[in-house]
Amino acid sequence: MENAIGIPKKRRLGGEATLAYALLAPAVLLMLLFMAYPIIYVFVVSLFKTNKLARIQEFDGFRIYGKLLADKENWKVIGRSLLWVITGVTTKTLFGIIIAVVLNTKYRGQKIARLLFVIPWASSIPISVMLWRWVYHTEFGLLNHTLKSLGISANPPVWLGQPISAFLSCMWVDIWIGIPFMALVFLAAMQSVPRTLYEAADIDGATRSQKFRYVTLPGITAILLIATLLSSLWTFNDFNTVYILTKGGPAGTTNILITYVYQNSFEWLKWQKASALSMFTFVILSIVSFLYSRVYFKREAM
Amino acid sequence: MLGLGYTNTNRLMKTFAIVLTIILLSIMLFPFLVMVVSMFKSSEEIYHIPPYWFPQKPTLQNFVTVWHTIPLASFFVSSAIIAFGAVILNTMISVPAGYAVARLNFPGKKTILYAFLVTQMFSPVVIVISLFKIVIGLKLIDTYISVIVANAVFTTPFVIWMLNGYFSGIPKSIEDAARIDGCSRVGALLRVILPIAAPGLVTTVIYTFIYGWNDFIFSLTFLQTQDKYPLTIGLYQFVGRFAVRWEELLAGSFLAILPVLLLFFFVEKQLVSGLAGGAVKE
Amino acid sequence: MKKVVLIVALIALMSVSTVSLFANGGKDTGDAKSTVTFWLADYEGIDHDFVGEIAAAFEAKYPEYEMDLVIVDWNALHDKLTTALASGTPPDASVIGTRWLLELMDLDAVVAPGDYVSQSTFDNIAPGAMEAKIDGTLMGIPFAAGSRFMAMNKSLASEAPATMEELRELAIEASKGGDYGLIMPGAKHSELSDFVYYFYAAGGEFFDANGKCIVNSPEGVKALEFMLQLALEDKVVQDGFMAQDRKESHPIFMGGKAAYVMIGAWADTEYGKMNADWDIEYMQIPPFAGNDPAPLIVTDSIALYSDGDNLEGIGKFIDFMYQDEWKAPLDKGMGFPPVTISAAKRPEFQTPMYAAMAEANLNAKGWPLVTGWVESASIIIDANQKALLGQMSAKEALDWAAAEVDKVRAE
Repeated sequence: MENAIGIPKKRRLGGEATLAYALLAPAVLLMLLFMAYPIIYVFVVSLFKTNKLARIQEFDGFRIYGKLLADKENWKVIGRSLLWVITGVTTKTLFGIIIAVVLNTKYRGQKIARLLFVIPWASSIPISVMLWRWVYHTEFGLLNHTLKSLGISANPPVWLGQPISAFLSCMWVDIWIGIPFMALVFLAAMQSVPRTLYEAADIDGATRSQKFRYVTLPGITAILLIATLLSSLWTFNDFNTVYILTKGGPAGTTNILITYVYQNSFEWLKWQKASALSMFTFVILSIVSFLYSRVYFKREAM
Repeated sequence: MLGLGYTNTNRLMKTFAIVLTIILLSIMLFPFLVMVVSMFKSSEEIYHIPPYWFPQKPTLQNFVTVWHTIPLASFFVSSAIIAFGAVILNTMISVPAGYAVARLNFPGKKTILYAFLVTQMFSPVVIVISLFKIVIGLKLIDTYISVIVANAVFTTPFVIWMLNGYFSGIPKSIEDAARIDGCSRVGALLRVILPIAAPGLVTTVIYTFIYGWNDFIFSLTFLQTQDKYPLTIGLYQFVGRFAVRWEELLAGSFLAILPVLLLFFFVEKQLVSGLAGGAVKE
Repeated sequence: MKKVVLIVALIALMSVSTVSLFANGGKDTGDAKSTVTFWLADYEGIDHDFVGEIAAAFEAKYPEYEMDLVIVDWNALHDKLTTALASGTPPDASVIGTRWLLELMDLDAVVAPGDYVSQSTFDNIAPGAMEAKIDGTLMGIPFAAGSRFMAMNKSLASEAPATMEELRELAIEASKGGDYGLIMPGAKHSELSDFVYYFYAAGGEFFDANGKCIVNSPEGVKALEFMLQLALEDKVVQDGFMAQDRKESHPIFMGGKAAYVMIGAWADTEYGKMNADWDIEYMQIPPFAGNDPAPLIVTDSIALYSDGDNLEGIGKFIDFMYQDEWKAPLDKGMGFPPVTISAAKRPEFQTPMYAAMAEANLNAKGWPLVTGWVESASIIIDANQKALLGQMSAKEALDWAAAEVDKVRAE
């Protein structure tokens, strides 16, 4: 079996694997050293009763998982987290693509525009989120002030004060933080599609939308899948936004799984429960990744 | 538009793009517009009800206070050390790894890729205590290197996956052509693939830089001496127990964003280098 | 050209980083000196330079010690301590919120300071501040103690209410002009205020003698219903109260838009920043009619950790730090009245605000010193919010809270 230019594939296989392992070794070693122990530790802790100093006491088996599965509050948090991640990632991706397309267009001031779009990402997240909390403020915030001045709304809501508006407000800030990253990723992806392919399409007389469908989109599909997958993982685990804006309030109505984990570990010192909840997160995100990888690897085989 | 490179943009589309840009920027930069006007306000103006946009008595006092109250320069240097350190470490180990998964076939590829992904499912919040124990065990507490490594660890999987995607998006024919010309694998990587994937590489570098520049939890946990604190921790001092010193916080945060923008300004050209397509003729 | 600049900058930075990377690894620096580590919480007004002076002066007096005085942001202090304790490497001592003491004692993480700090330091501390006594032994050295009181905007209101009911009348009166009558933070934050002010004003207790949570007692219901009335019926509190904790709601008062606020030692500092055109007056938080005044007093303590490696040194440091020339300026910066008897007599502490606090001190009540208080407080805040959101009545919410607290504390 030969590849496109006649180099026999079989001969390369043995050397290939060795080379691959050598190239991967530093990364794999680093991850093993710094992530393997913590992850295993989290799992182990979930199987033991813990004291407040996170020291394990007596073996408890999977009892805590049973308790969590039966806990209604727990499922509410999980459901909310799923809503959070699905809405968040979809919106970020959409905005990201739109902005990438806009930034890809040549016009005066394009370079400045690119610079400006990066600002939300360039700023430290805790501080940006605090800034948003200030913007959302009923008395001092310029958001409500602007809405009133422009006549859009005479009585804007107390954004972070009611369950639904608080959740939406948190979602928006999380989306807002993630958009520049998505835009940049897609912009880079679009730039990496070789120009020759477009030229070939031009020669074949393709229209603009045909070029988008048959050249651009396939070229960036790999990135699209990876970016949205990673975004899903990060969005699900986005701690800062909800915690700084509402601390999970009011009355726990904006708690997502990661803030719930934080609350159980650093505030309530219930390390066993927090670890179990982290494993829940892992399971949920594994399922998500599995679904993605089926699509991704199926593509690769094509 | 529509991702077609620089071909076929006409007047109408340019105008449309500009209008869309202005609308989107107004939405995206709203809080920063608030930041920029507020950092020139004194306390009385910031806490005025009803609030207003432009300061009536603009003052530079906040910047002066920030400069005198906290060792801003030291914070800047620390942030830079952490950010650049993370970038260097990450790039050195991720580029080879990314190439390996993108171009080579070997048993366990899927497993390794998946394993990298697994690490992204655990937020720093969850594992920071274990990491703290490791850092203490390695006697690396209160060193930059512990923070750099932690940041590199959390950004490496992403970079590898992204490089995998960017490298894969480059048709193999281009690389094969170079190898037929006598290039070694490494040569092909450096002279053919990386230039074409430059936009992607730059993106991952920027990502890692920003991640390191804005690191909070690792600096907070691993660093103990004030003169090693980066900007994120340093500025957080203005968030007190009973009140937030917005005047200084905004001024300081503004200064903290500037270097990132500067960096972006320098590398932005690589992002849109348009080297794509010309490589084969090289 | 840009590229060259960038590369040069990169190389310069790399050189700097490589050098600093390997500097200062770990805690053992010198051999001849032993290190004493103390974590000071970053109170708003303390002068970091001055803190450095204290460390330097201590080292000058005791050349055998090297002082590692770390200033830790308050919001991060609990997390950092948790992490340090969990890994077995805490500082020798640190400032803590006194209520954390029970958790720490549960874990045998602290030692009685009496073994390391000299008696003369203890004798100089006001007896009323000695909150951190567990089973008769003092486990935490009082570091800061501040009672809560009320502040009034004299251009919006003029009377000091003697009871809560009167406060309500006055707030309604004051709000007629379009401003707010009373500030009430409704968002979740680290403390159970403002609920505790109303609760204690009604004579409420969080736990009975057997440790059962009785926040749903008639006193508790009365307090919560009063809050609901103020916020939802009379509407005298700020519009955004559900979304605002005290960091966001107190500035509304300082901005001159509210008549009354229940506040603490930071009042003077915040007011001073505002160049206000109105005058401020300090008074007591009133009780409900028929009850005794019972404002809240919050104390911070210094705890010494059993896993610390230089307890002798830290004892000496604490003795050193508690001398007037060091502690008084610290107290002034922190905004708390001094816990030391000698410092309290100094002229800088004879202001109206300190006078109000001194009066409040006479009747003040602290947080309950029980295990699981952090979760309990969190649950009770949630209950308050449920009631304020209209999801439950005050009684239902507090019944739910009491049950949850008992469950959580039993685990």
